[in-house]
Amino acid sequence: MVDKVLTANRLADGIAVWLDAGGEWTTSLQDALVARHAEAVSALEDIGKKAYADNKVVDVNVVEVQETDGILWPLRLRERIRAQGPTMVYAKGYAPADPEFIAV
Amino acid sequence: MTKIWKETGFVKNDPWVIETEETKATESQKPLLPLDALIARAEESNDVGLGVLIKPADDVRKLEPYLDRLEIVAVAFPAFNDGRAFSHASLLRQRLGYANELRAVGDVLIDQVPLMLRVGIDSFAVTNETALKRLAENRLPGIPHHYQPTVRTADDPGSYSWRRVSRTIS
Amino acid sequence: MYRYDEFDHAFVAERVAQFRDQVERRLSGELSEDAFKPLRLMNGVYLQLHAYMLRIAIPYGTLNSKQMRMLAHVARTYDRGYGHFTTRQNLQFNWPKLSDMPNVLAELASVEMHAIQTSGNCIRNVTADHFAGAAADEVADPRPYAEILRQWSSVHPEFSFLPRKFKIAVTGAERDRAAIQVHDIGLHLKKNDKGEIGFAVYVGGGQGRTPMVAKLIREFLPEEDLLSYTTAVMRVYNLHGRRDNKYKARIKILVHETGAEELARQVEVEFAQLRDTELKLPEADVAAISAYFAPPALAERAEGWESLARWKKADPDFARWVQQNVQPHKNPDYGMVTISLKPIGGIPGDATDSQMDAVADIAEEYALDEIRVSHEQNLILPHVALADLEPVYRALVAHGLATANAGLITDIIACPGLDYCALANARSIPVAQEISSRFGSPERQEEIGELKIKISGCINACGHHHVGHIGLLGVEKKGAELYQITLGGSGDEHTSIGEIIGRGFEPNKVTDAIETIVDTYLGLRLDKSETFLAAYRRVGPQPFKDALYGGSTAEAA
Repeated sequence: MVDKVLTANRLADGIAVWLDAGGEWTTSLQDALVARHAEAVSALEDIGKKAYADNKVVDVNVVEVQETDGILWPLRLRERIRAQGPTMVYAKGYAPADPEFIAV
Repeated sequence: MTKIWKETGFVKNDPWVIETEETKATESQKPLLPLDALIARAEESNDVGLGVLIKPADDVRKLEPYLDRLEIVAVAFPAFNDGRAFSHASLLRQRLGYANELRAVGDVLIDQVPLMLRVGIDSFAVTNETALKRLAENRLPGIPHHYQPTVRTADDPGSYSWRRVSRTIS
Repeated sequence: MYRYDEFDHAFVAERVAQFRDQVERRLSGELSEDAFKPLRLMNGVYLQLHAYMLRIAIPYGTLNSKQMRMLAHVARTYDRGYGHFTTRQNLQFNWPKLSDMPNVLAELASVEMHAIQTSGNCIRNVTADHFAGAAADEVADPRPYAEILRQWSSVHPEFSFLPRKFKIAVTGAERDRAAIQVHDIGLHLKKNDKGEIGFAVYVGGGQGRTPMVAKLIREFLPEEDLLSYTTAVMRVYNLHGRRDNKYKARIKILVHETGAEELARQVEVEFAQLRDTELKLPEADVAAISAYFAPPALAERAEGWESLARWKKADPDFARWVQQNVQPHKNPDYGMVTISLKPIGGIPGDATDSQMDAVADIAEEYALDEIRVSHEQNLILPHVALADLEPVYRALVAHGLATANAGLITDIIACPGLDYCALANARSIPVAQEISSRFGSPERQEEIGELKIKISGCINACGHHHVGHIGLLGVEKKGAELYQITLGGSGDEHTSIGEIIGRGFEPNKVTDAIETIVDTYLGLRLDKSETFLAAYRRVGPQPFKDALYGGSTAEAA
């Protein structure tokens, strides 16, 4: 089974977040809690539903990742961009995404 | 728990019911008939004080010959974003000159009630809790300045011909 | 331009209060996301990949310096210091907080701006020719009618829950600079033989999954019938537009499935009932609204001719910029300036807060305080005296806004794409950047001439790729990005949908493919005066297919 993490956007500010091991929503994908078997994924889905119902987050999804040397790498390009931000210099003071991380 | 609301307040002992497989109108109740059934009943009898339920895909203009036999027309919003009933209501009031009770049924939420009032709907079958609460408090989230004339009475603000102002918040 | 009266101010204030209440109920949990979503959409609030996005309405693309400065302020204070001008003449902010939005909208309201109905299944921003009121070829200014439609369509109780979004565009010249034939309703303002003002009405144009050119359903609609006729179209659409399938819910599908003639007939039947109602437009009202758009008093500035000639001689870069970015004005002492938001290698359509402030300053000092946003993601100063072109140019240069590429190959239209948008399948911006860099040389661009490249990151076609001379559609294939190329599209008065020419190209092959297409064109054009589009229409896709795929055309990807 492919490893999975739980992601969403925060209700109040819309920022992309991931569920961490402490049950909090973090803005860093690398701190996300990884579900490695079916029961763990199920638990993630339940937490997601509850967080949505509690109006903490919106657009909750379970997404697939691959862990290599401790780095979590989403299988979908879309999720890699979500994790890192726009892939070019877009605003003063904000670094673009790491091209190596984004690459297919 | 579904309650009937009008601008004068919640209505007690409302007789109208939408019949289903399981629920039929009791002695003290009256059915909101589907359009075809209403037309058949009106053609085959001299009954008055009838009620009809207009579904989104119905042609509301078919009611024209029977308007004086109707006590109530209910227009259905199966999902709140199915906006066909706004046109049904507009045609009933403006085109057909229907003057009796016009009720919104289905997914009736507080944020659409002001728009429903403006197209001439004057009673509401409400189930949603927030809607019930806000209606009980008479707190409607409407905008009293309007950029369109509609059948609901509103004042001419003495400005461009298409503008109106409501005295009440809707 | 239009100025709010007491009524407009009251309306916008009430709308802000209404939305503030809705946001509070959402944040407290009293309002669910399902119930909140259509409400927030009708206030221009999307949820994107990284954050919310707020789309602010710029009615028919017209704004003044005060408003532009407010946009800069919002970018600086509530966002990440920049905004993105769109293909519908609006502005998007990519990082606003939901909790800040009522305050943002209150600030915008103080300068007569809002985000009402910039999304949702309702009537959207009415767009118009970005050269309106200034163009030498204009028959009549379309903006008064766009303003009347804007007002009339605001929180219309019957048409707030349509089957799908609804877009109207108006043009007032024979040359269509508003792409009316790919809109749900396209209005061509014109005069009849008696010199009376009216509209040719087109219905059912659109891009997206099933691009269609609009059908002419009314040759001449008298001015006074504008609102009653539009109501008739909207009512027929509201009642009969498909609601079973989101991808078949636009009016273009209704026109296609019903047949244009039958649909026109249904509209006429409804219109006949509406024509003599209170929707009839009084002449006095049209005159009053039109007065806001009266041509500005343009001082005689005949000295500009000599100055201009002198400056052009002295500075070839300036001369090139005038050649490319300044269009003829009704008044011979003036010109219409295009401020390019397409710096070589830059992000198409983006502007920083400092750039917005700079444009505001320039507009106020040199351009009678009027700015436009074009659907090609550039800014326009419609009234600039030739005598002021040089100082305007210098001011623009200082802020990186003087790229001399209006209508040229590096004047690319691109949607935000997968870098921002939750709907996208592929990125658009990096593709645009690479093409722009490759073709950045001014001499090369001049050699190629007019060539409109439009890039969309998904089939929703917000980049308008279907009407690009060269269109690029990003798709996803096996987890990677792939770009389909279409050729020969156009959004002008001879609207055509681009044709797919073969299998798609990987990101690192796209720019080479564009180069091949350009070289092919240069090799077969009759002479420099034959544009890419004209050449394509003459020779068809085959020479381009042969050049790209070597004579054996594979199936499109």
